Amino acid sequence: MRISELPEIGTKYEIESPKGDKVAVIFLATGEIELYVLEAGAEQPSVTRLTSEEARRVGSVLTGAMLTIEREDVEVSFSEISDLRINIHICPVTKRMVGKSIEDLGIRKRTGVTIIALSRKGRSIISPPPETVFEEGDLIVAIGEREQIKVCAREILGQV
Amino acid sequence: MTFLVDLAVVTVSCLALGLASKYLRQAAIPAYIIAGIILGKSGGFNLITSYDFVEWLGKIGVILLMFYIGYEFNFKGIREPGRLFAGCTDFGVNFIAGFSLGLVIGLSLIEALILASAVYISSSAIAISSLIENKRLIYPEAETVVWLMVFEDIILAILLVVLTSIMSGSFAIITILVCLAVTLLLIVFILTLIRKLSNFISPLFERDDEIPILLTFALIFGFSSLAYLLGILLQALALHLGISLQCHISEVIVAFFLGSALSGVKSFKKPFGAIISFKNLFLTIFFFSFGMMFQFQFATLSSTYFVLALLALITISILGKFVSGAIIGKRLHGSLETGLRVGAYTTPRGEFSIVLLAVVIGTGPGISELLSSLVVAYVIILSIVGSVFAKHGDRIGKAIMVGINKLLPPAR
Repeated sequence: MRISELPEIGTKYEIESPKGDKVAVIFLATGEIELYVLEAGAEQPSVTRLTSEEARRVGSVLTGAMLTIEREDVEVSFSEISDLRINIHICPVTKRMVGKSIEDLGIRKRTGVTIIALSRKGRSIISPPPETVFEEGDLIVAIGEREQIKVCAREILGQV
Repeated sequence: MTFLVDLAVVTVSCLALGLASKYLRQAAIPAYIIAGIILGKSGGFNLITSYDFVEWLGKIGVILLMFYIGYEFNFKGIREPGRLFAGCTDFGVNFIAGFSLGLVIGLSLIEALILASAVYISSSAIAISSLIENKRLIYPEAETVVWLMVFEDIILAILLVVLTSIMSGSFAIITILVCLAVTLLLIVFILTLIRKLSNFISPLFERDDEIPILLTFALIFGFSSLAYLLGILLQALALHLGISLQCHISEVIVAFFLGSALSGVKSFKKPFGAIISFKNLFLTIFFFSFGMMFQFQFATLSSTYFVLALLALITISILGKFVSGAIIGKRLHGSLETGLRVGAYTTPRGEFSIVLLAVVIGTGPGISELLSSLVVAYVIILSIVGSVFAKHGDRIGKAIMVGINKLLPPAR
Protein backbone atom coordinates (compact mmCIF):
# COMPACT_ATOMS: atom_id res chain seq x y z
CA MET A 1 0.00 0.00 0.00
CA ARG A 2 1.17 3.47 -0.86
CA ILE A 3 0.22 6.40 1.32
CA SER A 4 0.68 9.87 -0.06
CA GLU A 5 -0.26 13.31 1.06
CA LEU A 6 -2.10 15.63 -1.32
CA PRO A 7 -1.92 19.12 0.15
CA GLU A 8 -5.25 21.00 0.16
CA ILE A 9 -7.01 17.78 -0.93
CA GLY A 10 -6.32 15.13 1.69
CA THR A 11 -4.53 11.81 2.07
CA LYS A 12 -4.44 9.07 -0.54
CA TYR A 13 -4.13 5.33 0.18
CA GLU A 14 -3.44 3.30 -2.91
CA ILE A 15 -3.29 -0.42 -3.60
CA GLU A 16 -2.42 -2.09 -6.88
CA SER A 17 -3.42 -5.70 -7.44
CA PRO A 18 -1.09 -8.11 -9.31
CA LYS A 19 -3.52 -7.84 -12.25
CA GLY A 20 -2.89 -4.11 -12.43
CA ASP A 21 -6.21 -2.99 -11.01
CA LYS A 22 -5.89 -0.01 -8.75
CA VAL A 23 -7.95 0.96 -5.74
CA ALA A 24 -7.45 4.29 -4.04
CA VAL A 25 -9.10 5.67 -0.94
CA ILE A 26 -8.84 9.41 -0.48
CA PHE A 27 -9.67 11.05 2.82
CA LEU A 28 -10.67 14.54 1.73
CA ALA A 29 -9.97 17.55 3.88
CA THR A 30 -13.77 18.05 4.02
CA GLY A 31 -14.13 14.82 6.02
CA GLU A 32 -15.68 12.85 3.20
CA ILE A 33 -14.03 9.83 1.63
CA GLU A 34 -13.62 9.11 -2.07
CA LEU A 35 -13.25 5.56 -3.27
CA TYR A 36 -11.55 5.12 -6.65
CA VAL A 37 -11.45 1.89 -8.61
CA LEU A 38 -9.41 1.78 -11.81
CA GLU A 39 -9.45 -1.51 -13.67
CA ALA A 40 -6.27 -2.31 -15.56
CA GLY A 41 -6.55 -0.85 -19.05
CA ALA A 42 -9.70 1.14 -18.29
CA GLU A 43 -9.99 4.68 -19.61
CA GLN A 44 -11.79 6.19 -16.68
CA PRO A 45 -11.87 5.26 -13.01
CA SER A 46 -15.11 4.74 -11.12
CA VAL A 47 -15.47 7.04 -8.18
CA THR A 48 -17.90 7.28 -5.33
CA ARG A 49 -17.95 9.75 -2.50
CA LEU A 50 -18.89 8.41 0.90
CA THR A 51 -19.67 9.99 4.23
CA SER A 52 -17.51 8.74 7.08
CA GLU A 53 -20.42 6.64 8.34
CA GLU A 54 -20.88 4.96 4.96
CA ALA A 55 -17.15 4.43 4.63
CA ARG A 56 -17.07 2.71 8.02
CA ARG A 57 -19.80 0.32 6.89
CA VAL A 58 -18.03 -0.49 3.64
CA GLY A 59 -14.85 -0.93 5.63
CA SER A 60 -16.38 -3.42 8.04
CA VAL A 61 -17.78 -5.43 5.16
CA LEU A 62 -14.35 -5.51 3.54
CA THR A 63 -12.61 -6.63 6.71
CA GLY A 64 -15.15 -9.45 7.01
CA ALA A 65 -16.42 -8.26 10.38
CA MET A 66 -20.04 -8.50 9.25
CA LEU A 67 -19.71 -12.12 8.08
CA THR A 68 -18.08 -13.55 11.17
CA ILE A 69 -20.33 -12.39 13.99
CA GLU A 70 -19.24 -15.06 16.36
CA ARG A 71 -18.62 -12.86 19.32
CA GLU A 72 -19.02 -9.16 19.20
CA ASP A 73 -19.35 -6.30 21.58
CA VAL A 74 -21.36 -3.31 20.49
CA GLU A 75 -21.51 -0.16 22.50
CA VAL A 76 -24.66 1.86 21.97
CA SER A 77 -24.73 5.50 22.94
CA PHE A 78 -27.64 7.89 22.65
CA SER A 79 -27.45 11.38 21.30
CA GLU A 80 -29.96 12.65 23.86
CA ILE A 81 -28.30 11.18 26.95
CA SER A 82 -24.63 11.66 26.37
CA ASP A 83 -23.28 9.70 29.34
CA LEU A 84 -25.51 6.65 28.89
CA ARG A 85 -23.67 3.84 27.14
CA ILE A 86 -24.96 0.30 26.91
CA ASN A 87 -22.70 -2.61 26.13
CA ILE A 88 -24.39 -5.23 24.02
CA HIS A 89 -22.71 -8.58 23.87
CA ILE A 90 -23.38 -11.10 21.14
CA CYS A 91 -22.14 -14.70 21.45
CA PRO A 92 -23.09 -18.22 20.40
CA VAL A 93 -24.49 -20.66 22.96
CA THR A 94 -21.81 -22.99 24.33
CA LYS A 95 -22.17 -26.80 24.78
CA ARG A 96 -22.65 -26.61 28.53
CA MET A 97 -25.67 -24.33 28.14
CA VAL A 98 -27.60 -26.42 25.60
CA GLY A 99 -30.75 -27.97 27.07
CA LYS A 100 -30.84 -25.64 30.04
CA SER A 101 -33.13 -22.64 30.51
CA ILE A 102 -32.16 -19.09 31.40
CA GLU A 103 -33.64 -19.70 34.86
CA ASP A 104 -31.72 -22.97 35.32
CA LEU A 105 -28.47 -21.23 34.64
CA GLY A 106 -29.39 -18.27 36.88
CA ILE A 107 -27.74 -15.85 34.50
CA ARG A 108 -29.30 -12.70 35.93
CA LYS A 109 -28.92 -13.86 39.56
CA ARG A 110 -25.29 -14.92 39.24
CA THR A 111 -23.90 -12.28 36.93
CA GLY A 112 -26.35 -9.39 36.58
CA VAL A 113 -26.40 -9.80 32.83
CA THR A 114 -29.77 -9.76 31.08
CA ILE A 115 -30.52 -11.76 27.94
CA ILE A 116 -32.53 -9.43 25.72
CA ALA A 117 -32.82 -11.51 22.56
CA LEU A 118 -32.08 -14.87 21.01
CA SER A 119 -31.43 -15.64 17.39
CA ARG A 120 -32.51 -19.16 16.55
CA LYS A 121 -32.29 -20.56 13.01
CA GLY A 122 -32.72 -17.16 11.48
CA ARG A 123 -35.68 -16.18 13.67
CA SER A 124 -35.34 -13.85 16.57
CA ILE A 125 -36.92 -14.12 19.98
CA ILE A 126 -37.08 -10.73 21.67
CA SER A 127 -36.98 -10.72 25.52
CA PRO A 128 -37.08 -14.48 25.93
CA PRO A 129 -38.94 -15.63 29.12
CA PRO A 130 -36.82 -17.24 31.92
CA GLU A 131 -38.00 -20.73 31.01
CA THR A 132 -36.61 -20.51 27.45
CA VAL A 133 -34.33 -23.47 26.83
CA PHE A 134 -31.14 -22.91 24.82
CA GLU A 135 -30.58 -24.96 21.70
CA GLU A 136 -27.44 -25.65 19.80
CA GLY A 137 -26.65 -22.90 17.29
CA ASP A 138 -28.48 -20.15 19.20
CA LEU A 139 -26.95 -16.70 19.24
CA ILE A 140 -27.60 -14.77 22.42
CA VAL A 141 -27.73 -11.03 22.77
CA ALA A 142 -27.05 -9.78 26.28
CA ILE A 143 -26.65 -6.43 27.98
CA GLY A 144 -24.67 -5.58 31.06
CA GLU A 145 -21.70 -3.72 32.43
CA ARG A 146 -18.37 -4.63 30.98
CA GLU A 147 -17.39 -6.42 34.20
CA GLN A 148 -20.66 -8.32 34.39
CA ILE A 149 -20.26 -9.47 30.80
CA LYS A 150 -16.82 -10.77 31.71
CA VAL A 151 -18.19 -12.72 34.66
CA CYS A 152 -20.95 -14.12 32.48
CA ALA A 153 -18.50 -15.25 29.85
CA ARG A 154 -16.47 -17.07 32.52
CA GLU A 155 -19.20 -18.52 34.74
CA ILE A 156 -22.01 -19.26 32.32
CA LEU A 157 -20.44 -19.67 28.91
CA GLY A 158 -17.36 -21.33 30.34
CA GLN A 159 -14.99 -19.18 28.36
CA VAL A 160 -11.70 -18.07 29.82
CA MET B 1 -26.25 53.66 5.12
CA THR B 2 -24.74 53.66 1.67
CA PHE B 3 -22.21 51.04 2.75
CA LEU B 4 -25.09 48.59 3.06
CA VAL B 5 -26.08 49.31 -0.52
CA ASP B 6 -22.47 48.80 -1.63
CA LEU B 7 -22.31 45.52 0.22
CA ALA B 8 -25.60 44.42 -1.31
CA VAL B 9 -24.38 45.27 -4.82
CA VAL B 10 -21.17 43.31 -4.30
CA THR B 11 -22.67 40.23 -2.66
CA VAL B 12 -25.78 39.96 -4.82
CA SER B 13 -23.93 40.41 -8.12
CA CYS B 14 -21.15 38.03 -7.11
CA LEU B 15 -23.69 35.49 -5.89
CA ALA B 16 -25.59 35.62 -9.17
CA LEU B 17 -22.52 35.43 -11.39
CA GLY B 18 -20.84 32.91 -9.10
CA LEU B 19 -23.88 30.63 -9.25
CA ALA B 20 -24.04 31.01 -13.02
CA SER B 21 -20.39 30.08 -13.45
CA LYS B 22 -20.69 27.06 -11.15
CA TYR B 23 -23.74 26.00 -13.12
CA LEU B 24 -21.76 26.33 -16.35
CA ARG B 25 -18.87 24.48 -14.64
CA GLN B 26 -16.58 27.43 -15.18
CA ALA B 27 -14.11 29.11 -12.87
CA ALA B 28 -15.84 31.76 -10.77
CA ILE B 29 -12.89 34.16 -10.42
CA PRO B 30 -13.29 35.88 -13.82
CA ALA B 31 -17.02 36.21 -13.13
CA TYR B 32 -16.34 38.22 -9.96
CA ILE B 33 -13.81 40.44 -11.74
CA ILE B 34 -16.25 41.04 -14.58
CA ALA B 35 -18.97 41.92 -12.04
CA GLY B 36 -16.63 44.57 -10.66
CA ILE B 37 -15.77 45.91 -14.11
CA ILE B 38 -19.42 46.20 -15.12
CA LEU B 39 -20.92 47.54 -11.88
CA GLY B 40 -17.95 49.47 -10.53
CA LYS B 41 -16.27 52.71 -11.33
CA SER B 42 -15.14 53.22 -14.84
CA GLY B 43 -17.11 52.71 -17.97
CA GLY B 44 -19.72 50.70 -16.12
CA PHE B 45 -22.92 51.21 -14.16
CA ASN B 46 -21.09 52.99 -11.36
CA LEU B 47 -23.25 51.49 -8.63
CA ILE B 48 -20.63 51.61 -5.88
CA THR B 49 -20.60 54.77 -3.78
CA SER B 50 -17.61 54.10 -1.52
CA TYR B 51 -14.77 52.56 -3.49
CA ASP B 52 -12.46 52.75 -0.49
CA PHE B 53 -14.77 50.68 1.65
CA VAL B 54 -15.08 47.87 -0.88
CA GLU B 55 -11.35 48.02 -1.58
CA TRP B 56 -10.52 47.74 2.14
CA LEU B 57 -12.68 44.66 2.47
CA GLY B 58 -10.95 43.22 -0.59
CA LYS B 59 -7.54 43.86 0.97
CA ILE B 60 -8.60 41.81 3.99
CA GLY B 61 -9.40 39.03 1.52
CA VAL B 62 -5.85 39.08 0.13
CA ILE B 63 -4.35 39.06 3.62
CA LEU B 64 -6.54 36.10 4.61
CA LEU B 65 -5.67 34.25 1.40
CA MET B 66 -1.96 34.57 2.09
CA PHE B 67 -2.53 33.60 5.72
CA TYR B 68 -4.40 30.50 4.52
CA ILE B 69 -1.64 29.53 2.10
CA GLY B 70 0.98 30.02 4.79
CA TYR B 71 -0.95 27.81 7.19
CA GLU B 72 -1.43 25.03 4.62
CA PHE B 73 2.13 25.23 3.39
CA ASN B 74 4.00 21.97 3.85
CA PHE B 75 7.71 22.71 4.28
CA LYS B 76 8.61 19.07 4.89
CA GLY B 77 6.91 17.46 1.90
CA ILE B 78 8.25 19.89 -0.67
CA ARG B 79 11.86 18.92 0.05
CA GLU B 80 11.53 15.63 -1.81
CA PRO B 81 13.92 15.78 -4.81
CA GLY B 82 11.30 14.84 -7.42
CA ARG B 83 8.97 17.59 -6.25
CA LEU B 84 11.79 20.13 -6.14
CA PHE B 85 12.80 19.17 -9.68
CA ALA B 86 9.22 19.57 -10.91
CA GLY B 87 8.83 22.92 -9.15
CA CYS B 88 12.11 24.33 -10.47
CA THR B 89 11.36 23.19 -14.03
CA ASP B 90 7.93 24.80 -13.88
CA PHE B 91 9.43 28.02 -12.55
CA GLY B 92 12.41 28.08 -14.93
CA VAL B 93 10.49 27.49 -18.14
CA ASN B 94 7.47 29.67 -17.48
CA PHE B 95 9.11 32.55 -15.66
CA ILE B 96 11.75 32.95 -18.37
CA ALA B 97 9.11 32.67 -21.10
CA GLY B 98 6.99 35.40 -19.48
CA PHE B 99 9.99 37.61 -18.77
CA SER B 100 11.32 37.45 -22.32
CA LEU B 101 7.93 38.16 -23.81
CA GLY B 102 7.53 41.13 -21.45
CA LEU B 103 10.79 42.64 -22.72
CA VAL B 104 9.84 41.93 -26.34
CA ILE B 105 6.53 43.79 -26.04
CA GLY B 106 8.36 46.77 -24.59
CA LEU B 107 7.72 46.60 -20.85
CA SER B 108 10.23 47.94 -18.34
CA LEU B 109 12.43 45.51 -16.43
CA ILE B 110 10.28 45.51 -13.28
CA GLU B 111 7.09 45.23 -15.35
CA ALA B 112 8.55 42.26 -17.21
CA LEU B 113 9.32 40.64 -13.84
CA ILE B 114 5.73 41.19 -12.71
CA LEU B 115 4.41 39.80 -15.98
CA ALA B 116 6.72 36.78 -15.67
CA SER B 117 5.38 36.11 -12.17
CA ALA B 118 1.77 36.38 -13.34
CA VAL B 119 2.53 34.02 -16.23
CA TYR B 120 4.34 31.52 -14.03
CA ILE B 121 1.75 31.10 -11.27
CA SER B 122 -1.08 28.71 -12.06
CA SER B 123 -4.40 28.81 -10.27
CA SER B 124 -4.33 26.26 -7.44
CA ALA B 125 -8.05 26.68 -6.92
CA ILE B 126 -8.96 25.78 -10.51
CA ALA B 127 -6.33 23.04 -10.88
CA ILE B 128 -7.24 21.29 -7.65
CA SER B 129 -11.01 21.47 -8.04
CA SER B 130 -10.69 20.18 -11.59
CA LEU B 131 -8.57 17.23 -10.41
CA ILE B 132 -11.31 16.28 -7.96
CA GLU B 133 -14.26 16.93 -10.28
CA ASN B 134 -12.73 15.12 -13.22
CA LYS B 135 -11.79 12.09 -11.13
CA ARG B 136 -8.06 12.31 -11.66
CA LEU B 137 -6.92 11.71 -8.09
CA ILE B 138 -6.02 8.05 -8.64
CA TYR B 139 -3.46 8.92 -11.32
CA PRO B 140 0.15 9.59 -10.33
CA GLU B 141 0.22 12.98 -12.05
CA ALA B 142 -2.42 14.30 -9.64
CA GLU B 143 0.20 14.19 -6.91
CA THR B 144 2.73 15.95 -9.11
CA VAL B 145 0.27 18.72 -9.93
CA VAL B 146 -0.71 19.23 -6.30
CA TRP B 147 2.90 19.51 -5.20
CA LEU B 148 3.63 21.88 -8.07
CA MET B 149 0.94 24.12 -6.61
CA VAL B 150 2.61 23.95 -3.21
CA PHE B 151 5.95 24.86 -4.76
CA GLU B 152 4.34 27.79 -6.55
CA ASP B 153 3.01 29.03 -3.20
CA ILE B 154 6.48 29.42 -1.71
CA ILE B 155 7.78 31.02 -4.92
CA LEU B 156 4.83 33.41 -4.76
CA ALA B 157 5.85 34.41 -1.23
CA ILE B 158 9.46 34.95 -2.34
CA LEU B 159 8.40 36.88 -5.45
CA LEU B 160 6.16 39.11 -3.35
CA VAL B 161 9.00 39.90 -0.94
CA VAL B 162 11.37 40.68 -3.82
CA LEU B 163 8.94 42.60 -6.02
CA THR B 164 7.49 44.75 -3.23
CA SER B 165 11.01 45.52 -2.02
CA ILE B 166 12.07 46.58 -5.51
CA MET B 167 8.93 48.65 -5.99
CA SER B 168 9.03 50.43 -2.65
CA GLY B 169 12.80 50.82 -2.81
CA SER B 170 12.28 52.94 -5.91
CA PHE B 171 14.71 50.78 -7.84
CA ALA B 172 17.81 51.88 -5.86
CA ILE B 173 19.94 48.93 -4.77
CA ILE B 174 20.61 50.17 -1.22
CA THR B 175 16.97 50.88 -0.39
CA ILE B 176 15.88 47.60 -1.94
CA LEU B 177 18.35 45.76 0.27
CA VAL B 178 17.20 47.67 3.36
CA CYS B 179 13.56 46.81 2.60
CA LEU B 180 14.47 43.18 2.06
CA ALA B 181 16.46 43.01 5.28
CA VAL B 182 13.70 44.61 7.34
CA THR B 183 11.10 42.28 5.85
CA LEU B 184 13.22 39.22 6.59
CA LEU B 185 13.90 40.43 10.15
CA LEU B 186 10.18 40.91 10.74
CA ILE B 187 9.49 37.40 9.43
CA VAL B 188 12.08 35.87 11.75
CA PHE B 189 10.64 37.92 14.63
CA ILE B 190 7.11 36.61 13.97
CA LEU B 191 8.24 32.99 13.63
CA THR B 192 10.21 33.04 16.89
CA LEU B 193 7.57 35.02 18.79
CA ILE B 194 4.79 32.60 17.90
CA ARG B 195 6.99 29.63 18.80
CA LYS B 196 7.89 31.19 22.17
CA LEU B 197 4.28 32.13 22.91
CA SER B 198 2.74 28.90 21.67
CA ASN B 199 2.31 27.47 25.17
CA PHE B 200 0.47 30.60 26.21
CA ILE B 201 -1.81 31.04 23.18
CA SER B 202 -2.50 27.36 22.54
CA PRO B 203 -5.16 27.00 25.29
CA LEU B 204 -6.82 30.24 24.14
CA PHE B 205 -7.58 28.68 20.74
CA GLU B 206 -9.40 25.81 22.45
CA ARG B 207 -12.06 27.97 24.03
CA ASP B 208 -15.67 27.78 22.85
CA ASP B 209 -16.43 31.50 22.89
CA GLU B 210 -15.39 34.36 20.62
CA ILE B 211 -11.81 34.44 21.98
CA PRO B 212 -10.17 32.10 19.40
CA ILE B 213 -11.40 34.02 16.36
CA LEU B 214 -10.69 37.36 18.04
CA LEU B 215 -7.17 36.25 18.86
CA THR B 216 -6.62 35.08 15.30
CA PHE B 217 -7.71 38.38 13.79
CA ALA B 218 -5.80 40.30 16.46
CA LEU B 219 -2.65 38.46 15.39
CA ILE B 220 -3.33 38.95 11.68
CA PHE B 221 -4.20 42.64 11.89
CA GLY B 222 -1.64 43.29 14.60
CA PHE B 223 1.29 41.98 12.63
CA SER B 224 0.02 43.44 9.33
CA SER B 225 -0.13 46.90 10.86
CA LEU B 226 3.23 46.31 12.51
CA ALA B 227 4.64 45.84 9.01
CA TYR B 228 3.02 49.09 7.92
CA LEU B 229 4.18 51.05 10.99
CA LEU B 230 7.69 49.69 10.68
CA GLY B 231 7.82 51.04 7.13
CA ILE B 232 6.77 54.50 8.33
CA LEU B 233 9.18 54.40 11.28
CA LEU B 234 12.04 53.50 8.98
CA GLN B 235 11.15 56.32 6.66
CA ALA B 236 11.07 58.84 9.51
CA LEU B 237 14.35 57.50 10.88
CA ALA B 238 16.02 57.84 7.52
CA LEU B 239 14.64 61.35 7.10
CA HIS B 240 16.15 62.21 10.49
CA LEU B 241 19.51 61.05 9.17
CA GLY B 242 18.98 63.08 6.05
CA ILE B 243 18.31 60.17 3.70
CA SER B 244 15.21 59.74 1.67
CA LEU B 245 14.06 56.16 2.14
CA GLN B 246 10.77 54.72 1.00
CA CYS B 247 10.18 51.35 2.58
CA HIS B 248 6.97 49.42 2.32
CA ILE B 249 6.88 46.07 4.02
CA SER B 250 4.23 43.92 2.46
CA GLU B 251 1.49 43.01 4.92
CA VAL B 252 0.49 39.98 2.86
CA ILE B 253 3.96 38.47 3.31
CA VAL B 254 3.60 38.97 7.04
CA ALA B 255 0.24 37.20 6.88
CA PHE B 256 1.81 34.29 4.97
CA PHE B 257 4.48 33.69 7.59
CA LEU B 258 2.07 34.24 10.47
CA GLY B 259 -0.06 31.50 8.96
CA SER B 260 2.88 29.13 8.66
CA ALA B 261 3.93 29.95 12.24
CA LEU B 262 0.42 29.18 13.52
CA SER B 263 0.36 25.85 11.69
CA GLY B 264 2.81 24.75 14.38
CA VAL B 265 0.20 25.46 17.07
CA LYS B 266 -1.97 22.35 17.19
CA SER B 267 -5.07 23.85 18.76
CA PHE B 268 -5.29 26.48 16.00
CA LYS B 269 -7.05 23.90 13.83
CA LYS B 270 -10.33 24.89 15.47
CA PRO B 271 -10.56 28.61 14.56
CA PHE B 272 -8.90 27.92 11.19
CA GLY B 273 -12.17 26.56 9.79
CA ALA B 274 -13.81 29.91 10.47
CA ILE B 275 -10.88 31.74 8.88
CA ILE B 276 -11.46 29.79 5.66
CA SER B 277 -15.07 31.06 5.52
CA PHE B 278 -13.92 34.64 6.08
CA LYS B 279 -11.25 34.19 3.41
CA ASN B 280 -13.80 32.95 0.88
CA LEU B 281 -16.10 35.92 1.49
CA PHE B 282 -13.47 38.67 1.50
CA LEU B 283 -11.52 37.19 -1.41
CA THR B 284 -14.67 37.34 -3.54
CA ILE B 285 -15.01 41.00 -2.59
CA PHE B 286 -11.35 41.44 -3.55
CA PHE B 287 -11.94 40.12 -7.07
CA PHE B 288 -14.92 42.44 -7.39
CA SER B 289 -12.95 45.42 -6.09
CA PHE B 290 -10.08 44.59 -8.41
CA GLY B 291 -12.42 44.64 -11.39
CA MET B 292 -13.95 47.85 -10.03
CA MET B 293 -10.68 49.72 -9.68
CA PHE B 294 -9.40 48.46 -12.95
CA GLN B 295 -9.46 51.18 -15.58
CA PHE B 296 -10.68 48.97 -18.33
CA GLN B 297 -10.39 51.03 -21.42
CA PHE B 298 -12.06 49.59 -24.43
CA ALA B 299 -9.87 51.83 -26.54
CA THR B 300 -6.72 49.99 -25.41
CA LEU B 301 -8.47 46.71 -25.77
CA SER B 302 -9.20 47.33 -29.42
CA SER B 303 -5.72 48.53 -30.32
CA THR B 304 -3.91 46.07 -32.56
CA TYR B 305 -0.77 46.25 -30.47
CA PHE B 306 -2.63 45.26 -27.30
CA VAL B 307 -4.48 42.41 -28.99
CA LEU B 308 -1.27 41.04 -30.51
CA ALA B 309 0.56 41.27 -27.18
CA LEU B 310 -2.32 39.52 -25.43
CA LEU B 311 -2.46 36.75 -28.03
CA ALA B 312 1.30 36.23 -27.83
CA LEU B 313 1.11 36.16 -24.05
CA ILE B 314 -1.66 33.55 -24.05
CA THR B 315 0.10 31.36 -26.60
CA ILE B 316 3.43 31.53 -24.75
CA SER B 317 1.73 30.77 -21.41
CA ILE B 318 -0.06 27.70 -22.71
CA LEU B 319 3.00 26.42 -24.56
CA GLY B 320 5.20 27.10 -21.52
CA LYS B 321 3.12 24.94 -19.21
CA PHE B 322 3.01 22.10 -21.74
CA VAL B 323 6.79 22.24 -22.19
CA SER B 324 7.49 22.27 -18.45
CA GLY B 325 4.83 19.58 -17.97
CA ALA B 326 6.43 17.40 -20.65
CA ILE B 327 9.88 17.69 -19.04
CA ILE B 328 8.44 16.90 -15.60
CA GLY B 329 6.42 13.96 -16.93
CA LYS B 330 9.38 12.47 -18.77
CA ARG B 331 11.61 12.73 -15.71
CA LEU B 332 9.19 11.80 -12.90
CA HIS B 333 6.76 9.44 -14.59
CA GLY B 334 8.81 8.30 -17.58
CA SER B 335 5.93 9.27 -19.85
CA LEU B 336 5.55 12.24 -22.15
CA GLU B 337 1.77 11.84 -22.23
CA THR B 338 1.51 12.05 -18.44
CA GLY B 339 3.61 15.18 -18.63
CA LEU B 340 1.30 16.74 -21.20
CA ARG B 341 -1.58 16.09 -18.83
CA VAL B 342 0.37 17.86 -16.08
CA GLY B 343 0.71 20.75 -18.52
CA ALA B 344 -3.02 20.82 -19.20
CA TYR B 345 -3.92 20.80 -15.48
CA THR B 346 -1.55 23.67 -14.70
CA THR B 347 -2.67 25.85 -17.63
CA PRO B 348 -5.38 27.80 -15.76
CA ARG B 349 -4.17 31.06 -14.21
CA GLY B 350 -6.24 32.91 -11.70
CA GLU B 351 -6.26 34.22 -8.15
CA PHE B 352 -2.51 34.40 -7.61
CA SER B 353 -1.70 36.33 -10.78
CA ILE B 354 -4.31 38.93 -9.80
CA VAL B 355 -3.26 39.04 -6.14
CA LEU B 356 0.38 39.48 -7.11
CA LEU B 357 -0.43 42.33 -9.48
CA ALA B 358 -2.70 44.05 -6.94
CA VAL B 359 -0.15 43.80 -4.12
CA VAL B 360 2.70 45.09 -6.26
CA ILE B 361 0.61 47.95 -7.67
CA GLY B 362 -0.42 48.83 -4.12
CA THR B 363 3.23 49.17 -3.11
CA GLY B 364 4.17 52.06 -5.30
CA PRO B 365 3.79 53.89 -8.58
CA GLY B 366 5.54 53.02 -11.80
CA ILE B 367 3.32 50.32 -13.23
CA SER B 368 1.86 51.20 -16.60
CA GLU B 369 -1.79 50.75 -17.36
CA LEU B 370 -0.78 48.56 -20.27
CA LEU B 371 0.61 45.92 -17.92
CA SER B 372 -2.42 45.85 -15.61
CA SER B 373 -4.88 45.76 -18.52
CA LEU B 374 -2.84 43.01 -20.10
CA VAL B 375 -2.72 40.89 -16.95
CA VAL B 376 -6.43 41.30 -16.19
CA ALA B 377 -7.52 40.40 -19.72
CA TYR B 378 -4.99 37.57 -19.64
CA VAL B 379 -6.26 36.09 -16.37
CA ILE B 380 -9.89 36.33 -17.44
CA ILE B 381 -9.16 34.48 -20.68
CA LEU B 382 -6.73 31.92 -19.28
CA SER B 383 -8.91 31.03 -16.31
CA ILE B 384 -11.71 30.16 -18.71
CA VAL B 385 -9.56 28.49 -21.38
CA GLY B 386 -7.45 26.85 -18.69
CA SER B 387 -10.49 25.26 -17.02
CA VAL B 388 -11.41 23.69 -20.34
CA PHE B 389 -7.85 22.44 -20.76
CA ALA B 390 -7.82 21.03 -17.23
CA LYS B 391 -11.17 19.35 -17.80
CA HIS B 392 -10.06 17.59 -20.98
CA GLY B 393 -6.45 17.05 -19.89
CA ASP B 394 -6.41 13.37 -20.83
CA ARG B 395 -7.87 13.96 -24.29
CA ILE B 396 -5.51 16.85 -24.99
CA GLY B 397 -2.55 14.75 -23.87
CA LYS B 398 -3.63 11.94 -26.17
CA ALA B 399 -4.26 14.25 -29.12
CA ILE B 400 -0.82 15.84 -28.81
CA MET B 401 0.77 12.40 -28.56
CA VAL B 402 -0.98 11.34 -31.78
CA GLY B 403 0.35 14.49 -33.43
CA ILE B 404 3.88 13.91 -32.18
CA ASN B 405 3.87 10.29 -33.32
CA LYS B 406 2.71 11.35 -36.78
CA LEU B 407 5.43 13.97 -37.08
CA LEU B 408 8.17 11.84 -35.59
CA PRO B 409 7.52 8.18 -36.35
CA PRO B 410 8.97 6.11 -33.50
CA ALA B 411 12.38 4.62 -34.35
CA ARG B 412 12.37 0.89 -34.86
